Amino acid sequence: MNMKSLTANIRGIATLPLLLTVAAIILLFLLPKFVTSTYALHIMILIFISVIMGSAWNILGGYTGQYSVGHAAYFGVGAYTTMILLQYRHIAPWYGVWAGVAVAVATGLVIGSICFRLRGPYFVLASIAVAEIFRVSALNLPGLTNGAEGILITEVPPFKIGNAVITDFMSKVPFYYIGLVIAIAVILATRLVQNSKLGYYFQAIREDQDAAHSLGINLTLYKNAALAISAIFTSLAGSLYGLYVGFIDPGTVLDLGLSVQIVMTCIIGGIGTVLGPMVGAVVLVPFSEALRSNMIAQALIDSGLVKEDSPIGTFLKEQLSHAHVLIYGILLVVVILFMPDGILGFIKKLLASKRKETA
Amino acid sequence: MAAQRCGQEAHLALPGLEKVTQFEGAGSKDHVPGQLTSLLLAPCSYFLYYMIVFFQSLISGILIGGVYALIGIGLTIIFGVMRVINFAHGDILMIGMYMTYFLFTVFHIDPFVSIVITIPLMFLFGAFLQKVFINRALNALPQNQILLTIGMGLVMSNTVMLAFTSDYKILTTTYSSSSVEILGISVSEPLVVSFAITVAITAALYWFLYKTDMGQAIRATAQDREAAQLMGINVKRMSIIAFGIGSALAGTAGALISPTYYIFPQVGSVFTLKAFVITVLGGMGSIVGATLGGVLIGVAESVGGVYIGSGWKDVIVFILFLLVLLFKPSGLLGTSKD
Amino acid sequence: MAILKIQRVSKFFGGLAANSDISFEVQQGMIMGLIGPNGAGKTTLFNCITGYYPPSRGEIVFYNKRMNGLHPDAVCKLGMARTWQKVRPLARMSVVDNVMVGALCRTNSLTKAREMAMEQIKVVHLEQRLDARAGSLPIGERKKLEVARVLATQPKLLLLDEVMGGLNPAESEELIQLILDVRKLGITQMVIEHNMRAIMRVSDRIVVLNSGEKLAEGNPREIVANKAVIQAYLGESDA
Repeated sequence: MNMKSLTANIRGIATLPLLLTVAAIILLFLLPKFVTSTYALHIMILIFISVIMGSAWNILGGYTGQYSVGHAAYFGVGAYTTMILLQYRHIAPWYGVWAGVAVAVATGLVIGSICFRLRGPYFVLASIAVAEIFRVSALNLPGLTNGAEGILITEVPPFKIGNAVITDFMSKVPFYYIGLVIAIAVILATRLVQNSKLGYYFQAIREDQDAAHSLGINLTLYKNAALAISAIFTSLAGSLYGLYVGFIDPGTVLDLGLSVQIVMTCIIGGIGTVLGPMVGAVVLVPFSEALRSNMIAQALIDSGLVKEDSPIGTFLKEQLSHAHVLIYGILLVVVILFMPDGILGFIKKLLASKRKETA
Repeated sequence: MAAQRCGQEAHLALPGLEKVTQFEGAGSKDHVPGQLTSLLLAPCSYFLYYMIVFFQSLISGILIGGVYALIGIGLTIIFGVMRVINFAHGDILMIGMYMTYFLFTVFHIDPFVSIVITIPLMFLFGAFLQKVFINRALNALPQNQILLTIGMGLVMSNTVMLAFTSDYKILTTTYSSSSVEILGISVSEPLVVSFAITVAITAALYWFLYKTDMGQAIRATAQDREAAQLMGINVKRMSIIAFGIGSALAGTAGALISPTYYIFPQVGSVFTLKAFVITVLGGMGSIVGATLGGVLIGVAESVGGVYIGSGWKDVIVFILFLLVLLFKPSGLLGTSKD
Repeated sequence: MAILKIQRVSKFFGGLAANSDISFEVQQGMIMGLIGPNGAGKTTLFNCITGYYPPSRGEIVFYNKRMNGLHPDAVCKLGMARTWQKVRPLARMSVVDNVMVGALCRTNSLTKAREMAMEQIKVVHLEQRLDARAGSLPIGERKKLEVARVLATQPKLLLLDEVMGGLNPAESEELIQLILDVRKLGITQMVIEHNMRAIMRVSDRIVVLNSGEKLAEGNPREIVANKAVIQAYLGESDA
């Protein structure tokens, strides 16, 4: 019986995508051996963090249908716990992150027990309000969080097993691998959820809460389960971000803008799919980084389209780096209006219509 | 919020009142008056000070609450007619602030006079937003509508930032920091003027909504969109008008507070959140509710700011918000079904 | 044996009584019809029985267990399942996944749930539509899907809320047959229905509600002959 279902399962997974996935993972693990550009590694780390946040949100928002626009709360709580323990209590981050996860999950369960009674837009509003309470509290509790000045960590202690130093966190490479491993873990977790009772129940809740309730699904239990899984990975993303950048403050890790960015990663890629947040992250991160670092302005000038000393040229050079949020906004509007199923859904639709034409 | 330059906090800096806070800080035990008379009189004067502080914050709260009511009414009309929660509401208010700022600095038009220009312009702006963007998403999931308006808000605030940088701008009028006395309690003059204008606009709005045909049609659409359509009301047109009115009200609120607030591109998000709290408090879609909700939030902030600390006043508002959502989701005035 | 006892149940909304002082019993294996004009309180009674809201007064006893205050999921686990007047498919999930969600109430294994789901899909004859999105089905098939989904929760008592509403005569006939097939499986049923001919045909016993009160109870023949019923209900409809 078990054997039979196992072979059925293996046959169920198409071989080609599986091979491609394995190849991609191997490539990603080997990448730092060939690519020495710290900037490229930096972009990759940001993409990993974005994939982790997006996929984590996707479990709650995409599969369970609970659109939290307050996920900065879990990101920030994780980051703050890890950073406070490291900077003020000298507790190494590889212990601290788990404390961060525990605090984030506990926070999530408290928030969940309050907000999950609400539905639709009311839930969205409540999730925002809760996250804002965390942000304002962080600003007003300088004894704990150092208030608006934020926490700057002076150094991350080297990671040792026995006496052997595994890494001293001096380069970007260790952060790259940590990011990659957590990103793979969250995607694996999403797949596991999708192919389990949890996944069926989450989706049933998303489709129709009352119907799900009448089919024996304990709404509070399963919504909180989704939130807990989501909070674990969001908190890990927050801790990784804090350690990597070395600095956090309420305006970055607890900000409403971050919550929106998390949701956007999913919406733009395609909500409620394993691939969606990856596509979203791969599109959004390099694009906004290119804007932020003035690469696009420089490229426009270099291409000769815009003269460097013309008013447009100076404007682009001075201002385009601030425009990445503007581009986020425009993308969000365009995606919601014209491709509500995200880039993946849009491509699927295009392929389907092509197929119809040829048929 | 740090954004408020002189509001309720400013009045607490009056010399007499500083003493009260000092006494409070030192604790009454340490205070040993030399003379018997002052020992007897002291409790009396503390009481008086406390009363003055209380009434001052109460009155400031009501005055700023009038502006909040405008913001809330705007949001509630939009929600009522279209069932869309407008997350760009605060950013529309921000545009009103910038409009007022430039009318003042470039054309030297007093902010309180310039609303005759701001109101029609903001109405047209809102109508445009509805026709071009919101209208296409009326049948989308409510969550997606929220994201759409969040996106629109981001576009607005960041366009303004690109155009005018993110520097704080200050609109200083001759009366920006002057105050008037009402019943022995001093109150910021611009707040009093803006409150008077708010009352006038609210009265005009009530007249429009309850006494004119178009107002009735808007309310009918808000009550039951389908029934209104069956009765021959042009629902699409009402939606455009409603979004226009909502934006005009937000813009006006922006104009009215511009003499007392810092003006910067991100100022809107605070007001968006406040607008929700106000509308939820009053019951989504209820105009009377939003009016009362606005005043209530103004008072809660102002009084809470004095007694709990101004840094925490937003937390008070959000906690109030969550409590209402959980225990009285139909709003304080609403009749719940169970 | 009476498996469900409704004892003096009342439900108030504000000051309005949607159900007042209703009592009756449902015997094992029977089909109990529940009829009454619009607004008589039929769906309210269903909602009280299945835990969507607690009755204001009175008791609901299922297999000698007091059900008041239990949530719908607990009610379902105890063996009482309902369908909805307005069908509620899990629209973006496939037919088989919809039914599996029901089956997962009794198992944690997806493989087992799939087997159980296939069984029920056969009962309602939807084998041809396994992978169709539930939201894309026509109304008749959606109703059948809903029945299959609740059957998969392995109920002892099934509450059907107007399963024939909005169906054409041929589709209604299929559902009548389905109700009779389900009875053969040994499942007790309580059926709200506006289609008089259908309800008279399938019911062993009928309770008539009017303005929230129980007006009459008896077998179909007695109900048809009941003067109060004719006056209050049958008199004003064309059935």
